[in-house]
Order: sequence, then structure tokens, then C-alpha cells
Amino acid sequence: MKILGQKLNRRFFLSLFSLSALSTFFSKKAFGVSDYRRDKNIPKQYVQNRDRPDFFIRSANPFMGVDVNGWNLSVRGMVKNPITFEYEDLFGLKKTSQISRLKCVECWSATAQWEGFRFQEVIDRVQPDINAKYVYFQSADSYYESYTLKELVRPRVLMVLRMNDKPLSKDHGFPLRLIAPFKYGYKNIKYITSIEFADSRKRNYWSNHGPYSVDGTIQPGTDHPLDFKKKPLSINGGEVFHPFDKRPL
Amino acid sequence: MRRFLFVVFSLLFIFTCNKDEVDQIEVNIPIGITVPEGMVYIPDGDFIMGHSDYPDTEKGKVINMEAFLIDRFEVTRGQFSIFNPDYSFHPQKARFPVSMVTFEQAQGYCKWNGRRLPTEAEWEKSARGPDGRKWPWKIYHEHPNNGFSGFLPEAVDSREEWVSPYGVYGMGHNVWEWVSDWYISDKTPKADSKRYKVIRGGLTQTHTAIKFTPTYFRNKIEPTAHFNFIGFRCACSVDCR
Repeated sequence: MKILGQKLNRRFFLSLFSLSALSTFFSKKAFGVSDYRRDKNIPKQYVQNRDRPDFFIRSANPFMGVDVNGWNLSVRGMVKNPITFEYEDLFGLKKTSQISRLKCVECWSATAQWEGFRFQEVIDRVQPDINAKYVYFQSADSYYESYTLKELVRPRVLMVLRMNDKPLSKDHGFPLRLIAPFKYGYKNIKYITSIEFADSRKRNYWSNHGPYSVDGTIQPGTDHPLDFKKKPLSINGGEVFHPFDKRPL
Repeated sequence: MRRFLFVVFSLLFIFTCNKDEVDQIEVNIPIGITVPEGMVYIPDGDFIMGHSDYPDTEKGKVINMEAFLIDRFEVTRGQFSIFNPDYSFHPQKARFPVSMVTFEQAQGYCKWNGRRLPTEAEWEKSARGPDGRKWPWKIYHEHPNNGFSGFLPEAVDSREEWVSPYGVYGMGHNVWEWVSDWYISDKTPKADSKRYKVIRGGLTQTHTAIKFTPTYFRNKIEPTAHFNFIGFRCACSVDCR
């Protein structure tokens, strides 16, 4: 009788037996890091992954949310005029709103009305160096994301302060988040605390922690929209518009 | 018995190690036609377009076409940068397919080169030949990058095992490709008849599962779109230089 290509003799039986016995000494953690984001012991008041029927919440690093009294937005790096914005300052920028769909790389999507300002408002104030072709964001929940400057000035990219006619909630990124509708959800960083202009690209959180690209452009494939009972619908790539979505003119 | 098993296993080993190769159609190029370097001659005649299971395609209709020429490879970043010196790319990726180009930019490149974008029918015939095959290389493969979410382009000449029966590369993987047609199907409202251009021959991704698309699969996108997954190749009539 052979097992694993080896003749089953007393020596081999004993080595297998000892190996299986040894394996019981190791916990599961020795073979793979458990996903702490699914830990049911995370305090309820923490922002964390929640499958709410109308809009799932995703949080890479559960935390208590931002206390706006201690928050500001620092814009720095290769710019002529580094600026620090207080929360109130952001409401002085030119506002715009749009309805767009947030498409998660995990398959689901959901829509909302987002209100905020275009990235050009930031550019106009800080005046980036001509060689500053990349932008790096950091957040209050230790998340980070990177973009090319060209991507951020695309027409539908929005720095968001309000969602569905209300200030952003703690779950959705209060006080400031990014919405780039042609990128998967993980690129749409929440709780932004700093924006840095640079001449080289940095990696982002999920390319360092999962099998996800730095670029994160939505590829042609299938979506399971929450507002369509998660039924599969094919998508063309880029910003997702389903037959029941209103396209911008 | 030992000798018999040795022969059986040797044959099995040789068979399984043999690289997949696509049966190539032997094409006789008529006298007087010179095929420019980097292009492939696609002969005249019938081919099956679309598939009956895909209602937005030609549903398996037989189409007769004149002969034409098409680029063997997708246009590369290096080639495109000669046309547009502002197009920047990593020097090690000069042989990768150009991407982030709009329909107009793709059309402009082809015109500058004395060519044009292929029609959708030309593209599909180049990909599947006259036998109505589903995959350019005929046999189904799983995509090797399953487990990763994101688009990973490759050098345009890197996959000789994934060529069409006419020897055209990159028709079922790498970038989606602009073709000249507007996207119209039975369901297209009249107001949208000139809203989307057809793109062909790329991959679909759902989370970390990447799939090849069949030769008759149609995708559509606005002509101003410019994404990392869209590139193009050129075509021309048989008398172009």
C-alpha cells in the first residue's frame, strides 16, 4: 500500500503519525492571518464592515470615526502654496453634486447623491509643481490611496462632504471622502486627512494587503447592484451605468 | 509489461508536454498583393458572425467580405509615441499595447499611418476565421491570472499560443480594441444610435475571476472613454502600403 507515493512501512507510518500529531500543536493563526475586520468582538460603535441593505459599509481598519474638532486637511508636497483646511473652509469651495454609483471590487454596487467640490479647487489653491504627476491620500483610519493627477481632474471625480442631502455619516467617511466613479470602491478613500503631491507613485492600501491593483479602474465584467436585488448585470468597464440609471448629459 | 508501460508513459509525457498550437489557415496571397510588414492578409469569402445565444450580435449570420489587411499585433506604446510624442510610457513596456487612448486618437494614429480602424466584421473574421469558432485559439483555456483583480497587460507578441487561425495576436486577451462601428443592437434606442463605439476582444473581470471573451462578444463604450483596458489595431484594403 502506498500513500503520497511512499511505501507504507512502519517508519513512514510513524513519520506521518508524528507529523499529524505535531500539527495539533499549531493554532490556525500559524497558517494564515485571520481577518480581524470580521471579528464579532469589535465594539458596536466602531466603523466596521456592515452589510446594510441599501449600501454596504466597508472599513479596512475599524475605528471610532473622526472628531471634527481635532481634524483638518493638510495639502502639501510638491506645491507652491501648502494649505491646511479646517472643515468649515471646505464649504467655501465651489460646490457641485452628482448621482453616481459606487462599485465595490467584491461585486456589489450602490448609488447615492454626492455633494462636494472638484479636485481642481484644490489644485487652483496649492498650485502643484509641473512635475507633480501623482497624488497620495492618507486617512484617519490608517488607510492610504494613490492616484495620478490626470485621473483626479476627470469630470466626475468629486471630493465629497455630503451624501443624499446630509453631511457624510461616520460610516461613509465623515468629514471628507473621495468619489471616483470609474474606480472600484477601495479607491474611494474615506476620512481623508492629507493630500500630498509627488513626482513618483506610491502604492495603495489594498495593493499591499490583497490581490488588488494599484490602478483599480473598473473592468468590464459583472455587477450585483444592491438596488437590483443583487442580480447579475454585465458592465462595460469604467463608471457603471445600469439600464435603470440616469446617465449624465 | 515494464517495457509496455514505459512506452505508454513516454508517449503520455511527450503528448502532455507538447505546447498548444493553433491550427493556422494556409492563405494564398494573390499575385500582385504585397502585405506590409506587421500586417496579415485576410482572404475574401464567407464567415459566421455573431452567435445565436447572444442576441446583440449578428446571431450566426453568414457574411461575405472582400479581402483586407489587418495588423498582426495591437499597436504598441512605442509605436503610438512616435505619432504622439506626449504619450509617455515606461521604456521596458514599449512593446505593451497602447492604452488610455480615445476613439479619435486611435483613428488618428491609423490615418497617420495610411490605415484605418477595422470594421467590426473585419475584426471578428480576423479573430475566428471561417469555421465559426468561439475562441481565436479554438480550445478553451482558463485565464492564468485568476486570483488577481486588476488589468495586467502583456507585450503584444508574448502569447503565440493565443493567436487567431490567421496568426493575429491579442484578439481574445490583452486590451479591448476600438473598431470603427457604432454600437447598435435590436434594443438600442434611436437616440443612442451614435452614442457608443464597439470595443472587441478583451477580458472580463468579476472580483478576482478573469475570463476571456468569445470571438463574437461585443462591448460598448463612449468614444471619449480612455481607460487602461482599451487599445486598438489598424486595418486597410489590400492595396495599402
